[in-house]
Amino acid sequence: MTLTVCPYCGTGCQIEVDYSGDHYTVHGYTRSVVNEGKLCIKGYQGLSYAGSHDRITSPMIRRGESWVNVSWEEAIDFVVKRLREIRDRYGPDAIAFQASAKCTNEENYLLQKIARMMGTNNVDHCARSCHSSTVAGLIRTLGTAAATGSIRSLKSTETFFVIGSNTTEQHPIIGTTIIKQKKMGKKLIVADPRRTKLASMADVFLQFRPGSDVALLNSMMFVILKKGLIDSDFIKNRTEGFDEFAQEIEKYPPELTEQITGVPPDLVEKAAEIYASNRPSAILYGMGITQHIHGTENVMSVSNLALMTGNLGKYGSGIFPLRGQNNVQGSSDMGALSEFYPGYVPPDSEKVETFEKLWEAKLPRKIGLMLSEMFDAAIDGRVKAIYLMGENPVITEANLSEVEKGLKNLELFVVQDIFMTETARYANVLLPASSALEKEGTFTNTERRIQRVVPVKDPPGEARPDWWILSQIYSKLFDREAYGSPEDIFNEIRLAIPNYSGAKYADLYPDGKQWPINDQHPDGTEILHVDRFTRGLGKLMAIPYRPPSESPDDQYPFILTTGRNYYHWHSGTMTRRSDILERESPNPYVEISVNDAKRLSIRNGQTVTIESRHGTIKLPAMVTSKIPDGIVFVPFHFKEARVNLLVGENLDPYSKIPEFKVVAVRVKA
Amino acid sequence: MIYELTRDDMEKLYQRISQEYETFGAKEELGEVIFSRISSFSEVSEEKSSYSPKDFLIKRSENILEVPRADKKAVFGVKSCDLRGFQIMDLQILNKDPFYTVRRENTIFVNFVCNEMCNGGFCTSFGGPVLDRYDIQVLHRDGKYFVQADDRYERFLTGFKISQDQNVFSRHSQEFLQRYGKIDLNGIEKRMKWNSKLWSEFASYCISCGACNYSCPTCYCIDVYDDETGRKKEWDSCILEGFTRTAAGNVRPELSDRLRQRFYHKFKYYKLSKGEYLCTGCNRCVDDCPVDIDIKEVITHDYDKE
Amino acid sequence: MKPIKFRMETDDTYTMVFSKKTDSHAGQFYMLSVDGVGESPISVASGFCNPLTFSIKAVGSVTRYIMEHRDAEIGLRGPYGNVWPWKGSDHIVAIAGGIGIPPIKALIEDMESEGNLHDLTVLYGARSPRDIVYRNEIEAWKKKLDFRVTVDSGDSSWNGHVGVVTTLIPGVDEFRKGRAFVIGPPIMMKFSVQELLKNGFSPENIYLSLERRMECGIGVCGHCNLGQWYVCESGPIFRYSDVMNEPELFL
Repeated sequence: MTLTVCPYCGTGCQIEVDYSGDHYTVHGYTRSVVNEGKLCIKGYQGLSYAGSHDRITSPMIRRGESWVNVSWEEAIDFVVKRLREIRDRYGPDAIAFQASAKCTNEENYLLQKIARMMGTNNVDHCARSCHSSTVAGLIRTLGTAAATGSIRSLKSTETFFVIGSNTTEQHPIIGTTIIKQKKMGKKLIVADPRRTKLASMADVFLQFRPGSDVALLNSMMFVILKKGLIDSDFIKNRTEGFDEFAQEIEKYPPELTEQITGVPPDLVEKAAEIYASNRPSAILYGMGITQHIHGTENVMSVSNLALMTGNLGKYGSGIFPLRGQNNVQGSSDMGALSEFYPGYVPPDSEKVETFEKLWEAKLPRKIGLMLSEMFDAAIDGRVKAIYLMGENPVITEANLSEVEKGLKNLELFVVQDIFMTETARYANVLLPASSALEKEGTFTNTERRIQRVVPVKDPPGEARPDWWILSQIYSKLFDREAYGSPEDIFNEIRLAIPNYSGAKYADLYPDGKQWPINDQHPDGTEILHVDRFTRGLGKLMAIPYRPPSESPDDQYPFILTTGRNYYHWHSGTMTRRSDILERESPNPYVEISVNDAKRLSIRNGQTVTIESRHGTIKLPAMVTSKIPDGIVFVPFHFKEARVNLLVGENLDPYSKIPEFKVVAVRVKA
Repeated sequence: MIYELTRDDMEKLYQRISQEYETFGAKEELGEVIFSRISSFSEVSEEKSSYSPKDFLIKRSENILEVPRADKKAVFGVKSCDLRGFQIMDLQILNKDPFYTVRRENTIFVNFVCNEMCNGGFCTSFGGPVLDRYDIQVLHRDGKYFVQADDRYERFLTGFKISQDQNVFSRHSQEFLQRYGKIDLNGIEKRMKWNSKLWSEFASYCISCGACNYSCPTCYCIDVYDDETGRKKEWDSCILEGFTRTAAGNVRPELSDRLRQRFYHKFKYYKLSKGEYLCTGCNRCVDDCPVDIDIKEVITHDYDKE
Repeated sequence: MKPIKFRMETDDTYTMVFSKKTDSHAGQFYMLSVDGVGESPISVASGFCNPLTFSIKAVGSVTRYIMEHRDAEIGLRGPYGNVWPWKGSDHIVAIAGGIGIPPIKALIEDMESEGNLHDLTVLYGARSPRDIVYRNEIEAWKKKLDFRVTVDSGDSSWNGHVGVVTTLIPGVDEFRKGRAFVIGPPIMMKFSVQELLKNGFSPENIYLSLERRMECGIGVCGHCNLGQWYVCESGPIFRYSDVMNEPELFL
């Protein structure tokens, strides 16, 4: 039995695994403060991918139409040589790096270091598509882009406000914490276009239209303001910007916003009253908040709500952006983002000098290309090479046809992955990497807890841990000594990121610690912003409502919203290799309401066509009462029906996150 | 015959067994008790393990095109409730599942009788911690180890002191029952109601994680499937929708249907077909359930009042 | 093993014949497998000692794969399950709906080989004329035994009986003291049983062949239970009076 961390969601459940041959045993670690021994179905059934027979087991270089197995030395020499050539010929910004929230902190740190030492900030990863708006929003209002409390502190929460998160399916163990508290009589408010499991047990369910988040939140705040439920002391002592904020809020009486949100005013009032008066209250949100053109504004609205009611800095209160990937918090902390060096240092900040000293290199000072821009830049020729670690954008990115077009236009496409993914098929070089079960390092979960990842099995064939591959490339590219272990890299991370400075590698096992871990907080920090906000005062922002990028019209009368389901993970590369998970959810589907299905004469299971302004897919209908009329939902796991073909490239101006949650479509029987 | 062993004797007993068997035991690691290889009796924990030893007999997944074979293994420190789980499973799958059968025959379980009821446990409803059938059963009480063995393994005890107190197990059993009482099953197989609101109430919380099945020492259901490397069997969960789905439809489309099936199987169907409840009162399903669904509620619920 | 004959019966239903002799009796099933695809329980369509035959509707992964790969190596495991209890009864009324007909074909062949065909009446209902399986055999059977066919909805080519199979049941009420065997989709079985009871058959004399998700065929995997019974182990054929109180019977 080896104790490690589940490779799926940001909850970061600790698992004990015994993996020998193609057979494994897994248990939840009962002493874990994160999951207390509990796991969801992906934890129990989703680890077989690592033992899958179709892993990539040798470095490969494409020669013409076929793949040729090569040695590691040859593969790495080839990559280094080509990267150098492209840099020398076109400049460093002709190279783009895509990091991965599935990989460890050490790996992400190393990849962004390579990018920046090459002279480009063109390094980004899937956090762009999930919580970049959280980063943009919370940095502006609170100063720290992370959950303000711990999973454990939710046991002291009196009111849960869950918005845009299907928590029991996406962060199941956090979802069950809410269920247990609800059973014990705590209050639960759920705002979601879909009737989720939590929605069906909520005290108040606000079934609002996709994209109307700001209107809904502003009208809740209107009620709180009118009824005098604000925390005046907190506002006075801990925040700034109240007057301007209050002026904006005045414009959103629930009677007025009902037309936008579709939510009856009395429900808004009830929700507002419960949230504001039954404290401490915690807000948990997911992609429903972030994946919009106004994602950052949504996040700032969430922050407003917590600030005006004093629901920050106290045990049981707070804001919990539920991070999707196992290590999306960590990979963002590591600076695998084009607008941030490690520790969220902007490229134009003088603090970049710290990195120049630490890395002994001159570093680029202008913001690099963001994930969604990299493919466009590949199409128009600004980017000639992409180095991609462990992502599958051909399934997961918005505006897919552009992604494929961009990849075809590259001079060099290096893919470091564990499988021949749909994306890997476009590569020139394939570097066989290790799964999370085959390597060492750290992940940082959604509550900022840095946890140790421990190998439970050997990688197959010639596959190597990502950190090792990157370390070899780093060594050859810059003629530096390679890192000896993940711990070596982690020790450098401690020097680079103040919040990680006090985290001793050996002390992170078996129990992880929550950052900031420093001289003041050697054992970590469970609750952020207790006495002061990271930025000093909490900033209340005046956020006007703006409609989503696409609204239903005569041509495209439905709103499509996308997401995951309980059984699968993202592009399905991992979960679709588990027989049980695949059995539970074998086919793509579109959820459509009973009324809409009836109106369009669509039977359950019948294949339908969905068209947007950007593309068309065909898939079976799932007629359900979970979804309201006028809205359809499609999970993005299935290569058989890639829903991201339908999603346009409408980006949030602050964070460049694409609007995955609102697409105008039509449905045809 | 009941023997009375000292701690040193237990080590000797361990040595004798380890001559013939690969030895495993409940062992404390990183603050919890798990099953692991051991090389001395002193490593064995008397605490309840975090999970049942089920995968000694039913692997979590394996290739069934391979020939069933088993190494001789001895597992020390199994709790009586878990061993009883195997005895109950035997009634359905022994001599049918060749993998289970060959391992069952080649594995010695050295079960420890509990001195205290574990948190939430209700084994007294199913006979308590002293088993009538065992491989080697150990009661650590009053500073002594009282040990009894099945005829097949009596040889390991030859030469140790025969206890003066040949009633110690039955007395312990009575005292245990007196001390902790029991939840009266009270003909649960007849009391449960098909349309009880309990099933939909459970379903409103359940997230279909499968923990109740995976943790259960009596759940034996497996999924059989093919992949490119062979035909596999793998632990399955009756809580999952695909468990009964066929191309023609599903007999249990709702989660409440599936939860009811689980409890009907445990407390009615198995009782009718095999004469035993498919439960040992170990409370593992409650311990591992992320939403605190308590199987004891199925027993204590007043169905007539609904 | 590979079939020696392969014939499409309808658009999605096919018949495979193996050189191996049937070692099962009518009502039993085999587990058919294709390596790398999976295993599926399939009723035997041939009588004892005749060439082993299966007629299969392509609905799942295995059955579809076999239809699309006719030279696939097929694994056979069995026979499993119990048999139609036709011996010791005055008259048998076998009612088959849709793809429930193959084990009735086996029954015909078993009864024929023991010279009992005059004791058998078969009622067979298909959705439409296009869905009728065993067209050629049916013509021959009609000459040998009391074989009645109906379709739920006819077309221009059809001049036989139209109506669901239960509409044929009043016509066999003379055999009410005999046994009725029912096999087909759950809803068809449910209404057939109701109609049989209405026409004087007793619950003790009605037998149902049930279908459930089955993965092992030997009472180990736990998927196919109906109440306290595993269908693979105690069935697939059940006496209606034994299982009539099981709420999941006709699901």
